[in-house]
Amino acid sequence: MNLIIGGAYQGKLDYAKNKFSLSDAQIFHCTDNLDIDFNFICINHIENFVLYCIKNNLNALEIFRANKPLWQDSILISNDIFCGVVPISAESRAWREATGHLLAYLSQEAETVTRIFCGLEQKLK
Amino acid sequence: MKIFISGGCKNGKSSFAQDIAKKLAGNSKLYYFATMIPRDDEDRLRIKKHIQNRDGMGFETIEVGKDIASCLDKVDKEATFLLDSVTALLQNEMYSPDFENYIDPNAIERTKNSLLLFVKTVKNAVFVSDYIYSDALTFEASTEAYRAGLAKLDKMLARECDTVIEVCAGNVILHKGVLE
Repeated sequence: MNLIIGGAYQGKLDYAKNKFSLSDAQIFHCTDNLDIDFNFICINHIENFVLYCIKNNLNALEIFRANKPLWQDSILISNDIFCGVVPISAESRAWREATGHLLAYLSQEAETVTRIFCGLEQKLK
Repeated sequence: MKIFISGGCKNGKSSFAQDIAKKLAGNSKLYYFATMIPRDDEDRLRIKKHIQNRDGMGFETIEVGKDIASCLDKVDKEATFLLDSVTALLQNEMYSPDFENYIDPNAIERTKNSLLLFVKTVKNAVFVSDYIYSDALTFEASTEAYRAGLAKLDKMLARECDTVIEVCAGNVILHKGVLE
């Protein structure tokens, strides 16, 4: 699995498309009102799936652990929403923490971890 | 040589950028872009303090709040320029103090084109921006448009500049090029 993280609008998806020659049909875009689909080779906005889990009382980390065979050869992309200020709303705080925990786990499991900074790649692993 | 610097708030980007700009200039001319457009006496006082802080460092101040390339026919293009910050520049272009909540829809593209012309024309420049992309918050539409717009400028400058640096709690992460 290749993990790509970084701030919003930094060019993570463009980088993934280029690097792994992905077509739009191969990319699943998570939202906070949609269950994740591990059948896609590339899953974008993992942080939105975490928010979906928070809203539906699910544990994103457990779901990823249980489905490891389905994503272990995938390309996973997430915003690093856990670097900014601690949000006031309880839901946003839970979202921020759960995303941090999930990405720490995914970083361990990943073959490569790449951070995108202003369109440039930074190899973390 | 052109250098792009970004990172979180209050990390030491500005003083780091001033030092680099001075080194880059050597004995040649050094310009500082004053991007803040004063709106009241408090702003004017802050600007006065900033000018005093830079006093004796050899900067010549250029007052350009908008359209950075508009200065090109008045300056020495072989000189070294410090733009601190890209963030303030885009704010000036996007928001008007006269119209609350009004956002100029063409501001991002216009600012990007003006900056691109500037970076391609001058010999030495240091650009400072702010990394505001890692929050767990859903912002209102105008703030979200501003973040997306600033990221567009950042990515263009990171592409055009020889060296790209992230300053993190005073530490330097080199993302591209070399730092002499």
